[in-house]
Amino acid sequence: METKIIKRDGKKETFSPEKIKNAIRKAFLSVGSVATEDVITNILCSVKITNGSTVEDIQNQVEIALMKEEYYDVAKSYMLYRQKHYEDREVRDKLQFLMDYSNAKNAATGSKFDANANVENKNIATLIGELPKSNFIRLNRRMLTDKLKEMYGKEVADQYINLLNNHYIYKNDETSLANYCASITMYPWLISGTASIGGNSKAPTNLKSFAGGFINMVFMVSSMLSGACATPEFLMYMNYFIGLEYGEDYYLNTNKIVDLSIKQRTMDKVITDYFEQIVYSINQPTGARNYQAVFWNISYYDRYYFDSLFGEFYFPNGTKPHWESLSWLQKRFMKWFNQERTKAILTFPVETMALLSENGEVKDKEYADFTAEMYAEGHSFFTYMSDHADSLSSCCRLRNEITDNGFSYTLGAGGVSTGSKSVLTINLNRCIQDASRKGVDYMSFLEEVVDLVHKAQVAYNENLKYLQEKGMLPLFDAGYINMSRQYLTIGVNGLVEAAESLGIEITDNPMYLAFVQQVLGLIEHYNKKYRSKDLMFNCEMIPAENVGVKHAKWDKRDGFKVNRDCYNSYFYIVEDDTVNIIDKFRLHGRDYIEHLTGGSALHLNLDEHLSQSQYRQLLRVAAQEGCNYFTFNIPNTVCNDCGHINKQNLNECPVCGSKNLDYLTRVIGYMKRVSNFSQERQIEASQRHYAKVSQL
Amino acid sequence: MLKYHSYNIVFQEIPGEVTLAINLSNCPNGCKGCHSPYLQQNIGNVLTENVLEQFIAKYRNAITCVCFMGGDNDPYNVQQLAEFIRKKIDGELKTAWYSGKSKLPEYIDLNNFNFIKLGPYVEALGALDSPTTNQRFYNIVNRKLIDKTTLFQKRMNKINGYK
Repeated sequence: METKIIKRDGKKETFSPEKIKNAIRKAFLSVGSVATEDVITNILCSVKITNGSTVEDIQNQVEIALMKEEYYDVAKSYMLYRQKHYEDREVRDKLQFLMDYSNAKNAATGSKFDANANVENKNIATLIGELPKSNFIRLNRRMLTDKLKEMYGKEVADQYINLLNNHYIYKNDETSLANYCASITMYPWLISGTASIGGNSKAPTNLKSFAGGFINMVFMVSSMLSGACATPEFLMYMNYFIGLEYGEDYYLNTNKIVDLSIKQRTMDKVITDYFEQIVYSINQPTGARNYQAVFWNISYYDRYYFDSLFGEFYFPNGTKPHWESLSWLQKRFMKWFNQERTKAILTFPVETMALLSENGEVKDKEYADFTAEMYAEGHSFFTYMSDHADSLSSCCRLRNEITDNGFSYTLGAGGVSTGSKSVLTINLNRCIQDASRKGVDYMSFLEEVVDLVHKAQVAYNENLKYLQEKGMLPLFDAGYINMSRQYLTIGVNGLVEAAESLGIEITDNPMYLAFVQQVLGLIEHYNKKYRSKDLMFNCEMIPAENVGVKHAKWDKRDGFKVNRDCYNSYFYIVEDDTVNIIDKFRLHGRDYIEHLTGGSALHLNLDEHLSQSQYRQLLRVAAQEGCNYFTFNIPNTVCNDCGHINKQNLNECPVCGSKNLDYLTRVIGYMKRVSNFSQERQIEASQRHYAKVSQL
Repeated sequence: MLKYHSYNIVFQEIPGEVTLAINLSNCPNGCKGCHSPYLQQNIGNVLTENVLEQFIAKYRNAITCVCFMGGDNDPYNVQQLAEFIRKKIDGELKTAWYSGKSKLPEYIDLNNFNFIKLGPYVEALGALDSPTTNQRFYNIVNRKLIDKTTLFQKRMNKINGYK
């Protein structure tokens, strides 16, 4: 029977001894000698070829045989020849990618690694960002495995790669070198400008320098993060500078003409012009981030939440934040932004309204009513609700617990500086099904994975500390963020699917709750076990744009039970239309999210807007159920013909009557055109169940 | 006797309320173009006070209103159940009835309801949100029917209103 060997492209081919012989002859010729048949036979004696040998393996054996027979020159020449071909192949692959990318429908579909809908168009700048991604993945893996080997031994390092390659775990944002996302304190910037993070702008002194400097600062900070940059003090600082210019009670006289140019602008116009400058600038594609816009996030607070966070805060001039004017500014910004979004597609800032709850109701009635009013006006934003001012969202998905609400004269409000250094995700469906398949107790298997994931995160942290020691991470050095207050995040994906595989019904029932508590409780147990003075862990149900699709695809391919094409970040089955909106709040209520310390936002998909009183009631439901992080998602319509943007989910443009429409939705955390999502995600979005409740 | 097929939490049927809607079967009206013709069949389980109490217990603090969708095969029973909610459960929970009849039987005490929808579905005239609809939506105040059908028209105007 003839021997089949495996070529580089994976195809099988009948083994031909002539090909090796020719290669050996050429190698001898290249150093000016000739290989006789006897010599060649001798060399081939040491080369063992069986069915399934790979080309690479055979060439390795030839190298060793040449050296064994002491033809060192020839061996060297052979190796150099192989290396050259390897490089050619790599360039050829990159070229192929370049062509495929250029031909792809949009940037997310063309992207081989880390598809991301935040890239609006594909062009030479986004292509430049794509090309080195595979190198970053290799580099990141090498850095991490080297560190794991050093800290825990080779076995652990090998196990990490093994779990990664076999899709039990997934390293998020492996295509970037920077730490993930951060909520920053702007106090260092307020005191000394951007010099400490490598810039040359001085501290802001007035409203104008605040607005300009803020944009630059956000760009600089974002270029040193792979994920989002949250500025929870944005409006508080802006309010401070407006106050310096027009007095603390400016909000009582906003119709006053304050611009004496020919334009004669009112104070309100001056303020909203600054909103415009900041928001439009930050939504631009950014050179330093491969033509992505920066992921900018802000927060609004009710009076009580604000008091808890900033009650001790002092500005450099010794004054305290002025709540009444800030409250006016928060509301003004929100109203302005909602209106502006009917003029242009503006993704950022992602906004979170932080509300304190008490006895199953929002404590600050005024802000509860206002929040409901804004939802009813069609504005799209997140709400974070808690009985304590215990968290801030650092990006459109992660919330991070605040460990210190104190104030310092160098760093400002300590609480706001938080975030996640790195996310490493466990594919629960594969782990649990694979354990069952092998007849192993799934909790013991999961425990091994959870332990390893923590070790990998500790190793990541060591590498990050090394970079900091070398002065590579000025955000930490300058105090914008703090190494020991940033979390290492353990992500989970495929939780619903894992429960389904065990025959558990996905509804609010004791068995499902016990499963959720058991699995997430295990992770929290390890989060505490590995916690130290410098290390903090949290757990998040990840919504990453492409991981959920990838996991489903890989698991299906490998014969696991997969009931849908995307693992979502909810405790319920998205396509199950017997789960009503209150059930959803309940399934994201306190019992289920207890161990989900990094949070997971509940996205309530509705096909029509509700009224203010209905949203107001749902805020009560959230407070009663203990669902702390949620948003309402109603697709907005964009007309591809006349450009009209409508807050409603329509099938015909109300202006020009065109049916050539696109929709804006939060497929992940941020609002984007559905056509910008990767093709797989677009399919998922179209199958997503929008609660269609009307039976009129 | 009333039978129910399913229930849901709805928002559009009763403006401003978060409503537990109970879909009753055995509908005798047989409107042409009915959105859920299966409800004309004799399907589902019997809706007793006990069952109703359980539903409400599950969603008590979350909902502001309970709406009977249908039930024209036994209007007396619908009224009894509405009265049961009024008297035995909680005076604050509102009650509503989506009837396909143009007129309710004389013996119905309107005080048992906060909202009532009347009228069969006529395909050519459309549902409540159609400007030509024959159906009426009423708010009940002191046993009087106050026509609030325009709330549904307003909702449609709002959808088209960003012109």
